[in-house]
Amino acid sequence: MSALELRNISKHFGAIRALNNVSLTIEPGEVVGLMGDNGAGKSTMVKVIAGNFAPSSGDILINGSKAHFHKPLDAQKAGIEVVYQDLAICNNLSAASNVFLGREPVRRFGPIQIVDYGKMRSRAGELFARLKSETRPRDVVRRMSGGQRQAVAIARSLLTDARIILMDEPTAAISVRQVAEVLNLIRQLSEHGIAVVLISHRMPDVFEVADKVAVLRRGELVASKPASKSSPEEVTGLITGAIETA
Amino acid sequence: MQKKDLGLAILIIVVGAVVYLRNPLFLSPINLGNTANLVGLFGIFAIGQGFVIMTGGIDLSVGSVIALLGVLFVEMVGGYAVPWPAAVAITIALGALIGLAHGILITRFKMQPFVVTLCGLLIYRGIARGYTAEATAGFPFGASYPQLEWLTIGRSYGIPHSFIAMIIIAVVMWFVLHQSVFGRHLYAVGKNDEAARFSGIRSGFVITSAYVICSVLAAVAAIYFAMFTKSVQPSSHGNFYELYAIAAAVLGGFSLRGGEGSIVGVVLGAVLLQELQNLVNLLGIPSSLNFAVMGTVILLGVLADQQLAAYRAKKRAAQAFERLQSERVES
Repeated sequence: MSALELRNISKHFGAIRALNNVSLTIEPGEVVGLMGDNGAGKSTMVKVIAGNFAPSSGDILINGSKAHFHKPLDAQKAGIEVVYQDLAICNNLSAASNVFLGREPVRRFGPIQIVDYGKMRSRAGELFARLKSETRPRDVVRRMSGGQRQAVAIARSLLTDARIILMDEPTAAISVRQVAEVLNLIRQLSEHGIAVVLISHRMPDVFEVADKVAVLRRGELVASKPASKSSPEEVTGLITGAIETA
Repeated sequence: MQKKDLGLAILIIVVGAVVYLRNPLFLSPINLGNTANLVGLFGIFAIGQGFVIMTGGIDLSVGSVIALLGVLFVEMVGGYAVPWPAAVAITIALGALIGLAHGILITRFKMQPFVVTLCGLLIYRGIARGYTAEATAGFPFGASYPQLEWLTIGRSYGIPHSFIAMIIIAVVMWFVLHQSVFGRHLYAVGKNDEAARFSGIRSGFVITSAYVICSVLAAVAAIYFAMFTKSVQPSSHGNFYELYAIAAAVLGGFSLRGGEGSIVGVVLGAVLLQELQNLVNLLGIPSSLNFAVMGTVILLGVLADQQLAAYRAKKRAAQAFERLQSERVES
């Protein structure tokens, strides 16, 4: 059964067709490299899957049953997590606070609930250790490097038992050494049966980890095929329109 | 306690020491008691302003709310003989309604906080003046409300109850801002509203709550001020008080861009402001220069704070660069 299936998804903003009749299936543990030029509809697609936008038409199926997301929380509950391009991180909070943002653990004293900072720090510390990141839970995100911020964003998505993780340009703002770490992490997620949608401009990164490549051009899905049967040259052609479909 | 708060505390002590050396009356029980009373009165609504500033907003209507609700409170208790606990409840409920209206206009109708609360400033002041036809609202001659007076203007062991009330409110609000989930969300919404919403935080609810807290505390302060002055002159009562609150918050380390600040900071800010007022009186500086002294100190304080922060950031960057260089040499 597919972890996620998009059936004829369209999304219009007034007269602009950001997504047009897109159908795509993603199996558990599959890594899908989603590519396309700026404005091709990648971010819109992520936002539709993540529940930020409702599709104008079409269906989203999770494990074979239809899902209706009215807000991001609905998608989270269905096991979909997003690591955003702009990182969706609050600079003024600590790494641990960011990891738990929106789902802070609390201790209850009768009607009074107090944020459990100790639990937040220790759990965030475990996650960073799993990511082999040097990020310290107490550090304020404002003072972190791009790679550490990425680790915070990814740790967020590991917090719940996500089944599908969407990553928007996870390797765009970090050092070469940390790119390798992030790609390793993606493989680990895949081995645990988590499906990963990797949105990236960096062709080598995509072909290193992706099982399948999907290409969007002007809101339409022009290719969806195993990475082993494609090549960077073909994908470049598909993105620019030199090759119509594949 | 954060570094910023500690700096402010030291500044308060240093200023206090200087004033004491020039005029020992500064530490007399009477002066301390009176100053503590004023710190309490102004601190109560400054804490509320802090919550609004935390969201990146501003509430300019606080002074007018204090005037309008003060007039209504005095009228209810003095004019219509409403039992005072009921009058207190009604006043606080009205405060909550005002905050709710601000919050809804700002989050639902996407109006700018400055505009909404500026209109509030004009509207509430206008209603207060219109309702009383510019007459001063006061209690009837000889009227006395022992329990209410004990709660508001009474003293225990020389400590004014307004100050004690402020401390209690500060402790409760410290838990709300620094220990509750709502507080975490307030920091997040204030700094990066979009990130907060992506994290599933209902930012509209969080922001509206901040305005409700602000106006409710302004309502509490309105009762204390009305009891303190005993009569409310609708055209001048509470004038500029919102600016005192904003000044206290900014001195206390709040950023008007949102997402920065602490309860300890805003309380210390309120203390410093009253200390400065007291300084003007005790050192024989003409009281007409009052505002000039306050403005200068705030300006210098914020300037020094920012320059220090920039200096620290530069030093950190230099250290990181050196580390990088040495790593490169090793490898």
